[in-house]
Amino acid sequence: MDPGAARRLEAKVLNTPASAASRKLLAALAPAALAVLTACSGSTSESVSTAVQDTSSAVATARIALRQDLDGKLTRAATATTLDDALKEAQTSRDAVLKLSPAGQEDRDTQKQALEVLDQCAAGFATARASLASDTGGPSLSDGDEALADAQDALDDLSQKVGSK
Amino acid sequence: MKRLLGVALGILTAIGGFVDIGDLVTNAVVGSRFGLSMVWVVGVGVVGICLFANMSGRVAAASGRATFEVIRERLGARAGLANLSASFLINLMTVTAEIGGVALALQLASSVNYLLWIPVAAVAVWLVIWRVRFSIMENVTGLLGLTLVVFAVALFLLKPDWGSLAGQLAPAVPEHETFWTYSYYAIALFGAAMTPYEVFFFSSGAVEEGWSVKDLVQSRVNVLVGFPLGGLLSVAIAGCAAVVLLPSGIAVTSLSQVILPVAEGAGKLGLAFVLVGVVAATFGAALETTLSSGYTLAQYFGWSWGKFRRPAEAARFHLAMIVCLLVGLAVLATGVDPVLVTEYSVVFSAIALPLTYLPVLIVANDPQYMGEHVNGRAVNVLGMVYLVIILVASLAAIPLMIVTGAGS
Repeated sequence: MDPGAARRLEAKVLNTPASAASRKLLAALAPAALAVLTACSGSTSESVSTAVQDTSSAVATARIALRQDLDGKLTRAATATTLDDALKEAQTSRDAVLKLSPAGQEDRDTQKQALEVLDQCAAGFATARASLASDTGGPSLSDGDEALADAQDALDDLSQKVGSK
Repeated sequence: MKRLLGVALGILTAIGGFVDIGDLVTNAVVGSRFGLSMVWVVGVGVVGICLFANMSGRVAAASGRATFEVIRERLGARAGLANLSASFLINLMTVTAEIGGVALALQLASSVNYLLWIPVAAVAVWLVIWRVRFSIMENVTGLLGLTLVVFAVALFLLKPDWGSLAGQLAPAVPEHETFWTYSYYAIALFGAAMTPYEVFFFSSGAVEEGWSVKDLVQSRVNVLVGFPLGGLLSVAIAGCAAVVLLPSGIAVTSLSQVILPVAEGAGKLGLAFVLVGVVAATFGAALETTLSSGYTLAQYFGWSWGKFRRPAEAARFHLAMIVCLLVGLAVLATGVDPVLVTEYSVVFSAIALPLTYLPVLIVANDPQYMGEHVNGRAVNVLGMVYLVIILVASLAAIPLMIVTGAGS
């Protein structure tokens, strides 16, 4: 293409005012795009709520596995794998909360509370895994279940608090 | 008597071979989140796969050639390439998911990390494809996969409130879910039931076993009896999840959660059965998808193919499968969650469905290949209805994936 023609075309494009129709289209699309972006990003409470829900699911899974192990329904290998998978799920949720960028003081408080509860869950998982590993001296399977039950209660409390905001 | 045994074996293999990692995971996810409100989707998917697998088997038996080979010749290189691209990429994702599934099941049995099992699983798949006869390979994995019936047994042993379970059968969006997530998972479940590899494997397998028009009745019985019974297995998986996991607020994200209801209902014996079943189902599907990858590539490019030939006589076919296994291995070695790969593979299956099934419908109506065995009017009407369903599912899949954050 002739360089002069290219420059003329560029100038024409840059200098052409948007037509009324395209301005209307842009005006309509901008709020829609904003709405989509807002919906995609979500608020701190929503993100915390999702993390709490996912962790709650992981804790419930771990508790079922421990109970089944206690009842002699699950092998040690299957219980250990289930606990590892549940812990991974809880860790993912914790990472998601940790990476949030709270906008105000209230959101910062929510994030802090959520991280405390999620850390309690991680401690519960640690006790549960230790109970599987130790035959003598360490925590028992019941201790592991108790630690996870406490974590579940804390998650329920947090869920209510976040839900009421 | 021998023929009757052959039919029975074919049906049992079809039941055992129906479920793969996609069915296992998607049905458990759906059961744990939506109860039994999506059983209708399994029904729609099973009728669809019966329709097109039967059509595909008929094409192979009547023409003596695999469906993909005929599609390439009948519709030309360009349409064949579109079909190849869609089905091959989905196949590759499914191979990856199935090998990951085998490794996850072996981890559950041994507590050895699944990443260490992945190369073992891939080498085992390659060895079986290289050395074992087609019929033995298909029958052994299919029959071992039948142990997944333990899901149905466990469902009875769990003694659920059958009335309340039956009440969930009506299509309805649960209170805590949205219409969009419901639609997204409906498409995933549909894609899991109708994965494209099944049709290509079925027709290429017919050529491997040397089917002719005389075998059409057996093929029809295998599909029309075996697949719906396999569909009932899928419903049992969802039912177990709905009874044990849903009330506890557990949304399935891992294979270890899928087996918990069986252990709850049937104890360690049930656990042993389900682990054998999961390994057999995923391993069998890994064989099928790897072979399907080789079949589609070889049939498109006109290479010599088939397990009925010695590997030296179909070198490019075998090399293509080795490359596919290595690609799957490389993807899994990155540490990507095999369950996540599975979830995406079933949705992408749904997206690719029109490119797979439209050519099958066209070829099955061509008297030049089919002779007197062309589709009847009723089959064509049903085929057209399914094409519309497939098209809608295919178009809606990606927007729904974006809107729902992949169903989260």
